Amino acid sequence: MTATGKNKILVVDDEITVCKSIRQAILSEDYEVDMALSGEEALGKDKEKNYDLIITDLMMPGMSGLDLLKQIKASRPEAKVVMITGYPTIRTAVESIKMGAFDYIPKPFTPAELRALVSRAIKPQEAEAVSEAKAVETKIPAGYYYLLGHTWLKLEEGNQAKIGVMPDFLNSIGIITQLELPRIGDFISQGEVCAKITDADRFVHRVWSPATGRVIEINVNLLQDNSLLRRFPFEEGYLFRIEASRLEEDLQGLLLAK
Amino acid sequence: MLQKFLDLPLRIKFILSFLLVIGAGGLISLFLGTRLEHRTIMSLAEAKVRHDLVSAWNVYNEKINDIRDIVLLNSLRDSIQRALLARDRENLLRILSLIRREFKLDILSLTDEEGRVVLRTRNPEIYGDDLSSDPFIARALAGQVVGGTGIVRREILMKEGEDLASKAYLKFIPTPKAAPRPEDHEENGLMLMAASPLLNSQGKVIGVLYGGILLNRNYEIVDRVKDIVFKGEKYKGKEIGTVTIFQNDLRISTNVTDESGQRAIGTRASQEVVETVLKNGKPWIGRAFVVNHWYIAAYEPIKDLNNQIIGMLYVGMMEKPYIDLRNNVMLTFTGMAGLTSIILLLILSAVTSTIIKPLQGMVQATQRIAQGELNHRVAVDSRDEIGQLAESFNRMTENLKLANENLIQWSKTLERRVEERTRELKEMQDYLVQSEKLASLGKMAAGIAHEINNPLTSILINTHLLLEKLEKLDKKDEFYENLSLIAEETSRCTQIVRGLLEFARESKPQKTQTDINDLIERTVLLLENKASFQNIRIVKQLKPDLPLILLDRAKIQQVFWNFMINACEAMPHGGQLTITTDLSENKKAIEIRFIDTGVGIPPEHINKIFDPFFTTKPSGTGLGLAICYGIIQQHNGAIEVKSEPGRGTVFTLYLPLETKDITMKGGN
Repeated sequence: MTATGKNKILVVDDEITVCKSIRQAILSEDYEVDMALSGEEALGKDKEKNYDLIITDLMMPGMSGLDLLKQIKASRPEAKVVMITGYPTIRTAVESIKMGAFDYIPKPFTPAELRALVSRAIKPQEAEAVSEAKAVETKIPAGYYYLLGHTWLKLEEGNQAKIGVMPDFLNSIGIITQLELPRIGDFISQGEVCAKITDADRFVHRVWSPATGRVIEINVNLLQDNSLLRRFPFEEGYLFRIEASRLEEDLQGLLLAK
Repeated sequence: MLQKFLDLPLRIKFILSFLLVIGAGGLISLFLGTRLEHRTIMSLAEAKVRHDLVSAWNVYNEKINDIRDIVLLNSLRDSIQRALLARDRENLLRILSLIRREFKLDILSLTDEEGRVVLRTRNPEIYGDDLSSDPFIARALAGQVVGGTGIVRREILMKEGEDLASKAYLKFIPTPKAAPRPEDHEENGLMLMAASPLLNSQGKVIGVLYGGILLNRNYEIVDRVKDIVFKGEKYKGKEIGTVTIFQNDLRISTNVTDESGQRAIGTRASQEVVETVLKNGKPWIGRAFVVNHWYIAAYEPIKDLNNQIIGMLYVGMMEKPYIDLRNNVMLTFTGMAGLTSIILLLILSAVTSTIIKPLQGMVQATQRIAQGELNHRVAVDSRDEIGQLAESFNRMTENLKLANENLIQWSKTLERRVEERTRELKEMQDYLVQSEKLASLGKMAAGIAHEINNPLTSILINTHLLLEKLEKLDKKDEFYENLSLIAEETSRCTQIVRGLLEFARESKPQKTQTDINDLIERTVLLLENKASFQNIRIVKQLKPDLPLILLDRAKIQQVFWNFMINACEAMPHGGQLTITTDLSENKKAIEIRFIDTGVGIPPEHINKIFDPFFTTKPSGTGLGLAICYGIIQQHNGAIEVKSEPGRGTVFTLYLPLETKDITMKGGN
């Protein structure tokens, strides 16, 4: 936060138009948005300003987004970094979460999608007061695989798996006004949208799937009572069940709770 | 030469070889045979002629003995002794002339005790001359009775009788091969003579009685010998046997005739004979040219009382009959040899034929077989080498036939296999073309996605920002509508790019042993939970106990899902989806069919439905079936479509039980 009370955000992309568009999209009275056209430039600016949030493209000539992430996290672990990714690099994006990125956003995206993410990244500092959020259990049960800050996965018989949302993701959202789940038979991939949660500000937050597979069952109870999500995030509050198809590969991108 | 012989047909070679053997053998035996035969015949002839000469000598000596007997017996007669003592010439002439005529003597004369002629019966007028020097008279005067041959000189002959002298006179007739002589005639005579003393009671010689036969022009002896020995045999009008008495080398008595048929007296012996017989006193036996013919002849010398050679006795057989006989025998021999050869040849020819015939059969068979008549067989008639050969040949042909049939069978199989492989190759090629299409598309997609994402991001963000501004101003006018359209279309672009990237994404198939029926059941279960297809009946005809199959469950399920969704979407007013599973006809693959009763696919679309971006749905990306196609190819499977517009479509999937690992090229 600056002296003016504004959150400082740095947008990093080698394409000036993209930088400008992003800046335009998130520029508001609450945020002060700077731009950098390379990782090196971004590092220099960050040393000066210690940004609250750095939004960086993953694929850049010279210093890559991942390198930038590493260097910032090394000097300022509290800094939040969001990766912009192209679809082919989604696996790298999942990797980046393991390395401490707050989240990622696949290109192309709408201003709304970006704002939702930014709000989630900035929100916790202001939304500490949300009472419901506090109630969320933060301890992850052993044996659960998870995509840091997003979703978890619990292996079941066969190649089936239960998938749910991590409490810290819910905490970053606040009040849930709407929950959108996939349909049975849908095929979802790791790192892609598997559910959407709308908050009180009508921001639609996309939930990344921890694994790849076909949806075989929906937790219909959630559609009636989404409070289950918060009350029993690792049990009755699961989202759906899939028949996983690339488990071995997918598990490498996840962390295992002990 | 040898090569020419080797090139001849076997039959000719056989016959030529045998001819050579027979010819050589025949010629040698003919040569040896004729020589042997010639020598045998000739030696036989010589033996005969030698024997005949002995016979001739017998006749000759018998004649001498006759004369000797005559003079001996008469010398003992009293009347003659008395007349001699009385010199009663008249009486003597009467008695002795009677005896001479009776015994056909040429001369019969009487001398006194001193050798003076008392009476010549043939010429009584001349007497008183002294003959005591004559060897016959001299020996008789000494008391001996002698007989033999002797030369009688012309003057003596003249005394004994002029006619005898002229009888003895012979002019030489020129003879080929004769030894030259200074004289041109002979005037002395050759005589068979005997003399016997007349003894008184005291045993004292009182006279000598002698008699003789002049041999010159006297043919009695020679003809008699001829009659006895040769029995008058003739050969082609000519006497076979001839007998001659020579005085020296001169023929004085003979039955050898000249060209005109006259007895050939006056001709002479050949020099060769003269040398051997007259000069050396040896007998001569062999071929001799007598007058004008060849004879097989034997000569022996005639000697006088003093053992002087004075002439020759000759016996000869005409050579011609022997030659002819020999020739006949030779001819017969040759004829028989020829006949034998011909018979041998015939036998040989027959034998050769029996040997050659099966060989020729085999040659023909070989040619027919070479022309492809593999059913042809050689007749096996014998158990010998040729029979065995024929049998082996037949066996070989049988094997050849079998081999050939196998070959034909094999080539048919090969043809079928080639066809199969060609079809497979064609399929593979189609597959490659399709995969190539997919692969290059994948690469392009990745590139495009990356490049297009940035501008899309800018467009999307800015459009939305503009829209937001218009919303704030509450100006939902024409611009707003157009901007919304841009935003929507940009989102669609985003969807397309995502689809493309999904399509191009490289991911290793994770294959596990899967029960196809179970996978179908699970997929159908998902489908049945979809509320939108409630008016569609799903019928499953799943073959139980199908073998497990190695596949990527998620991907294959994706394919099943796509086909099911497509089928359901083809039946907007309801219908039936039949899903069947079974083993393929060749048991090498599992066959899965999705049969719907939907709208069907127009024929012009059938070949395009698997092409990326081909779609007939307004909201489709056209990637669904292309992705399915890719997945099935990754499993070495195949997809078949049959459709009848208005009646429905059948999609058939073939998933091989054993998979060769063909990884799909593609992705980024």
